Amino acid sequence: MRNLLKECLAEESGFVELRYHHKESRSFFAERGRVESTALRKRTGVGVRVLESGTWGFASTSEISKSSIQNAIQVAKKAARLSSALRKDKIPNLPKANFAIGDFIGKGIEDFRNRTVEEKLKLVLDIQNAAAKQSAKLQSVGCGYSEIYEEKAIVTTDGADSFFSMVRPEFRVSAVAKEDGKMESGSHSIGVTGGWDCLFRSLSPTEISDEACKTAVDLLSSSLPDGGLSTVILSPSIVGLLVHEAIGHTVEADFVLSGSVAQGKIGHRVGSDLVTLCDSGYSEYYEGAGGSIPVDDEGVIPTNTVIIKNGILSSYLHNRETAERFGVAPTGSARAWEYGDVPLIRMRNTFLMPGDSSLEEMIANTKDGYYLDGAKNGQADATGEFMFAVQKAYRIKNGKITDLLKGVTVSGLAFDVLQNVDMVSKEFKWDLGSGHCGKGQPAKVDAGGPYVRTKVLLGGK
Amino acid sequence: MDRKSIEKRLNDQKDLLSNLVKKAKTNGIDQVEIYSSYGYSEDVSLEKNDLNNCTATEENMFGIRVLHEGNQGFIISNHIPSLYQSIEEAYSLAKSQSTPDLDLVLPEPESIQNHFNQYDDSLDSMGIEDLVASAKEALGWRNDLYSKVNIDSGDFSLSKGYKLIVSSKGVMAHELGAELSASVMGMGVDGDLVGSFDYDSASGFDKTQFQTLWKKAFMNFGDKCMGALYAKPISGFQGKVLLPPDAVYSFFLGLFIGSLNGTSLRKGKSKMAGKLGEKVASPLLSIWDDPTNDRFMGSTGFDREGLPTSKKSVLTEGVLETYFYNTYEAKKAGFTKSNGCATGGAQSLPGCGPKQLQIAPGTSAKDEFFKLPGKTLFVNRISGTKDGASGDFSGVIKGGYLLENGEKIPVREVQIVGNAFEALGQIEAISKEGELLGESSFVPYMLLDGFTITGVTEE
Repeated sequence: MRNLLKECLAEESGFVELRYHHKESRSFFAERGRVESTALRKRTGVGVRVLESGTWGFASTSEISKSSIQNAIQVAKKAARLSSALRKDKIPNLPKANFAIGDFIGKGIEDFRNRTVEEKLKLVLDIQNAAAKQSAKLQSVGCGYSEIYEEKAIVTTDGADSFFSMVRPEFRVSAVAKEDGKMESGSHSIGVTGGWDCLFRSLSPTEISDEACKTAVDLLSSSLPDGGLSTVILSPSIVGLLVHEAIGHTVEADFVLSGSVAQGKIGHRVGSDLVTLCDSGYSEYYEGAGGSIPVDDEGVIPTNTVIIKNGILSSYLHNRETAERFGVAPTGSARAWEYGDVPLIRMRNTFLMPGDSSLEEMIANTKDGYYLDGAKNGQADATGEFMFAVQKAYRIKNGKITDLLKGVTVSGLAFDVLQNVDMVSKEFKWDLGSGHCGKGQPAKVDAGGPYVRTKVLLGGK
Repeated sequence: MDRKSIEKRLNDQKDLLSNLVKKAKTNGIDQVEIYSSYGYSEDVSLEKNDLNNCTATEENMFGIRVLHEGNQGFIISNHIPSLYQSIEEAYSLAKSQSTPDLDLVLPEPESIQNHFNQYDDSLDSMGIEDLVASAKEALGWRNDLYSKVNIDSGDFSLSKGYKLIVSSKGVMAHELGAELSASVMGMGVDGDLVGSFDYDSASGFDKTQFQTLWKKAFMNFGDKCMGALYAKPISGFQGKVLLPPDAVYSFFLGLFIGSLNGTSLRKGKSKMAGKLGEKVASPLLSIWDDPTNDRFMGSTGFDREGLPTSKKSVLTEGVLETYFYNTYEAKKAGFTKSNGCATGGAQSLPGCGPKQLQIAPGTSAKDEFFKLPGKTLFVNRISGTKDGASGDFSGVIKGGYLLENGEKIPVREVQIVGNAFEALGQIEAISKEGELLGESSFVPYMLLDGFTITGVTEE
């Protein structure tokens, strides 16, 4: 594929980027004793981006042939020329980048290819059947397995020349429990970059299912917490949501240029000394983080980018265009979801570095607060105000975990919450590898870190 | 790409898909359905108060469903030369399963009464140059009227295409469509002060309709961003919330409508199970689904299974009148056929739901809501979470106001917690005025009472 793309570029003189992308998504879902759906989605095409007259032009084609790709190049060039007159702030030349050259084959691909459809169907059906028998209060248990296999080739007129492939499996269980007209739901999911063994390395399918069912049943007897500003200990999945939503989005350089709260704050204190925050294309601490990429969608080798070092904001996340504008090197953060999408600046694996405390010490040192566990969803604002939703909130009184309460929405101002971090655990976990981050288009990301104690606004009664 | 070439493509594809279905039947694959979605679009995007990118994209996606003895396989592909192989793969997926349900069948064809022409030929004379001109105009509005509003991103799109469904049972239906649309997202920025994100969008069948609606949407966006710029924290209170049409639809009513979905009902996940004919909401609330009105964007004569759509009452003065079914869920519920409420497109299996909800206007003047005594929270948007089974929702208020003694105070760091099913009974008043969201669903303003509002300051 790299050769075909290079052939298409042979006579081009300006900047042209060709991105071949083939993606196969398989999903299997069982509920109420039967397989409810099996689906396979295949999408292939080439995205063409040109920089001409100081403006981007983009076109795409699903036909993988020299003539079709070359036609798309001409369409993209025409689009760029048409818009050039309007664009005020012309795009300067793109900076040199640490391009990936060669083939990069991901781990786990053979593993997923060698497992049959029947094996995957049996997994979801068996787990679902066993889970549904756990409690008479369970109305419904759904179990899903999915995997995205993708391969990309990226070739540019200024030197990028790579092919890479990867597979990202996910497993999820959701349960609904009912008692006296009250209904509650619980879910647990995992996702990695790698094979089946990597997926179930920390938790078995049964343990994942038990966790989801137990949450749904336990929440039947829970009530809302008291609303207000509270001391909280966040589990790694919640820390992942916090750093992704509250900080990660505000330091994406396109948001920074639009006026996000992180604008002009490089070198400023934005968190306590205990806070060191990174976003990486790799999988630090243990393999399989769900947002790992060997090459970004501009053909650049991703870095481990230290965003905050001991509380001081030290870097934004960049593509080639913003790197040029800020006079820094690209961080390898340009990502596109489909061949027909233009690459955007996106996070990869976002994490807080571990500290010195243990979770046990952190709970024992908390007189009055909450332990929050089970990430649901979250969103961030340009103001730095964020929200994320949790499944479960446990009351902490006098250093001990007591009642289970309904998890609700938690919010705060990003940098205030980081400034209030006063304890960080030794334990570390990636815990946000399932699902997607949305920003105009989806992206597979992961996030996590240690247990963290801080203050947030808790919605409640 | 113009109407003539799209129609030619459609006609060629009808023949192609019919032949593939025939070939499959000849080879023993009896139940095949192919849903084709073709789109061509030209787009101009904005970023950072400037033009960002011009794009041209074209794609044809196919959703292929094969049923075999009560089992189903589904393949989505954009590769026309290998469509027959995809049918065989879907068949193989269906055969690999061991949990058949004989209620899972493709529907028999029915006559479609409403034929829509939502392709205005005048759009064929437009192109990317016109989108660039619209982008230039919007940047001018921003510079002249809203210099403190930063456009983070925006998009102008001219899109054309068709949907086509063909099945081995004899279903054959298609519709062409074309539209102009635009959206904008951004926030107010004044020195170090940054306001909450907001956004708005508009679409139209033709240039004149689009331009009128887009200008209104852009001004609305600018006003919302400026309104959120000087927000301040408040203390919490128990009381009333005022929901504008967007908030009514996206957050509060969405949970209720989701609970009327045939799949949720069958799986025991809906609190509305067994409540047909019962009063489940305030008598002020009446809702119907109307995909048959050709003045609305997105109206359609057939659903995801190629069956005719119809107007139906959902809630009349608080009494529940219908659920939403596709063919499978209708059979599981004991009906012989669906009520034309299969949802989705080429990239999904048929779901269940409404197409174009309409909420009956009330009798109150919306301006009176802004002059109420005491405290009322105006909820522009909720950034939060909701749980379909319990109906619980909670979130942070974005771009909201505290309405107090005739004052309109922009607020930040305010959370709201509630339950959608309880909220149906908490409606105190509905406005006469409303908005046509997405140019398709009429939604009025609603005033609700009895909410817990959490703030960060002390009283």
